[in-house]
Amino acid sequence: MTSTATTSPPATGRRTGAAPVVSFRKVSKNYGSVKAVADLDLELYPGETVALLGPNGAGKSSTLDLLLGLRNADTGSVSLFGTTPQRAIEQGKVGAMLQSGGLMGGVKVRELVRLAADLHPHAYPVDRILDTAGITEIADRMVDKLSGGQEQRVRFALATAGANDLIVLDEPTTGMDVSSRQTFWGTMRAQAQQGRTVLFATHYLEEADEIADRVIVLHRGRVLADGTSAEIKARAGARRVTFDLDGPADREALRGLPSLTSLEVSGRTVRIQSQDADATVHAVYGLGLYPRNLEVAGLGLEQAFIAITDAATAEEAAR
Amino acid sequence: MTTLIKLEIVRALRNKKFMFFSVIYPPVLYLIIAGGADNSPIPGMKLNMALYYMVAMSAFGAMTAVLIGNSEAIAKEREKGWVRQLRLTALPGRGYVAAKMASAATVSLPSIVLVMLVGAMVKGVRLEAWQWIAIPVGTWLGSFVFAALGVAIGYLASGDAVRPIAMMVYFVLAFLGGLWMPLTILPQWVQNIAEWLPTHAYAALGTAVEAGGAPHVKDVAILVGYLIVFAGGAAWLYRKDTRTA
Repeated sequence: MTSTATTSPPATGRRTGAAPVVSFRKVSKNYGSVKAVADLDLELYPGETVALLGPNGAGKSSTLDLLLGLRNADTGSVSLFGTTPQRAIEQGKVGAMLQSGGLMGGVKVRELVRLAADLHPHAYPVDRILDTAGITEIADRMVDKLSGGQEQRVRFALATAGANDLIVLDEPTTGMDVSSRQTFWGTMRAQAQQGRTVLFATHYLEEADEIADRVIVLHRGRVLADGTSAEIKARAGARRVTFDLDGPADREALRGLPSLTSLEVSGRTVRIQSQDADATVHAVYGLGLYPRNLEVAGLGLEQAFIAITDAATAEEAAR
Repeated sequence: MTTLIKLEIVRALRNKKFMFFSVIYPPVLYLIIAGGADNSPIPGMKLNMALYYMVAMSAFGAMTAVLIGNSEAIAKEREKGWVRQLRLTALPGRGYVAAKMASAATVSLPSIVLVMLVGAMVKGVRLEAWQWIAIPVGTWLGSFVFAALGVAIGYLASGDAVRPIAMMVYFVLAFLGGLWMPLTILPQWVQNIAEWLPTHAYAALGTAVEAGGAPHVKDVAILVGYLIVFAGGAAWLYRKDTRTA
């Protein structure tokens, strides 16, 4: 499991040879004694859809704030499209939807969207923005009277008021119900298909699994893993093998099984995570054991994520 | 940018409670303070009480609405995260400050006009026609200085600290500027300091017109100077706001 703490090259984007859209070089940001972002190196390439994963306090929001120039790095440099975040935003290249981004009160939805369009150098027509975000029906409502999900869609409208090259979303579907969540990601996929780079932070691992073609796992302000979701799952031990034994389990013998990444024995039940389930199961029979109720299942991104972050925490504790 | 300015004005007009009290407060205060005042002249000045307080209270009321109103509204918007969202647009800092000043000016204009009306109709203040125009226009334009100061305070302080800070700045400036009582009754050294305050220059605009002359160049220059400092500072703070909220 020690291998999980090292980073592998990203699976996508870099291959195209295009200039990076986002580039973090040795970026650190501290709040007092808390290291929110520690020596972060990160590059995003055109057309990538990237999920930023991490437990609470991993530095996701801080990373996005630095990326958008809302905060300044203590050390290192952040550049967007080869310039400063502020310049890139002024040029209308970046659209962002923040978790902490409030809305202006005392105005109607349409008025707010018109404002966003007016401020964007390459804006779309107001009706089209409303339509894309699915807020045409609530366009004449006051912003203060919206539900959480509706507010999220208005924020999304503000983030996509013009032709951006990079879209940044911080926990975009928080407060949305299942169907609006699906609609939302449908819209987002369409944006990605037009060649835009999409970066989103999320708590919903299935969203990262389904939508992102690159997943970055942050832990204590560092990149813990970076690859496709399949690669991240493989890193954590791709398959889970579970079976019961007739007699007491011989832990030593089981520990010697090939491709094993973790072993858990409770009574007669054995739970194994394995990089190569076929080889592992074959070797179980080779030990002369007769596994009952044998189950082999793929590891979800969620378990992979927990396995990776737990391993990193354990490793830090051991130091 | 013009959309934001228009939107801020619309918002100010829609905020009926704030509008009502901001507009009603100065004339009521004028009636209370200058209620018993007659047409006897103020020592050391060519003006009488009713006239003096008409200008002072319209200035004071305009300043209240724009300084307190702006600083609190901005601190609240920062807390809500709207300003963060706005900083992710191509809006320049001056656009934000201009919009906030426009919204403040929307509130201050009717309050100034109302004090003038009360002065003329209740207190029997008599002026030339040009003075009736020059005083409110000057007072209104002068209030922009304090609107800009309000934006800057809204950025310097956050959360609960805004109100006490804004109040302190406001009371000290109002008192030393002579908006509450003529400065001629205060010691000379206080008058010497007060001369350079924006509130003093602000009140002096109206006082000069009341006395039948044009505003002094020095007072106008002081106000323009403060306007540049406050508005420039506010725009800078808007762009540099890299703290929480």
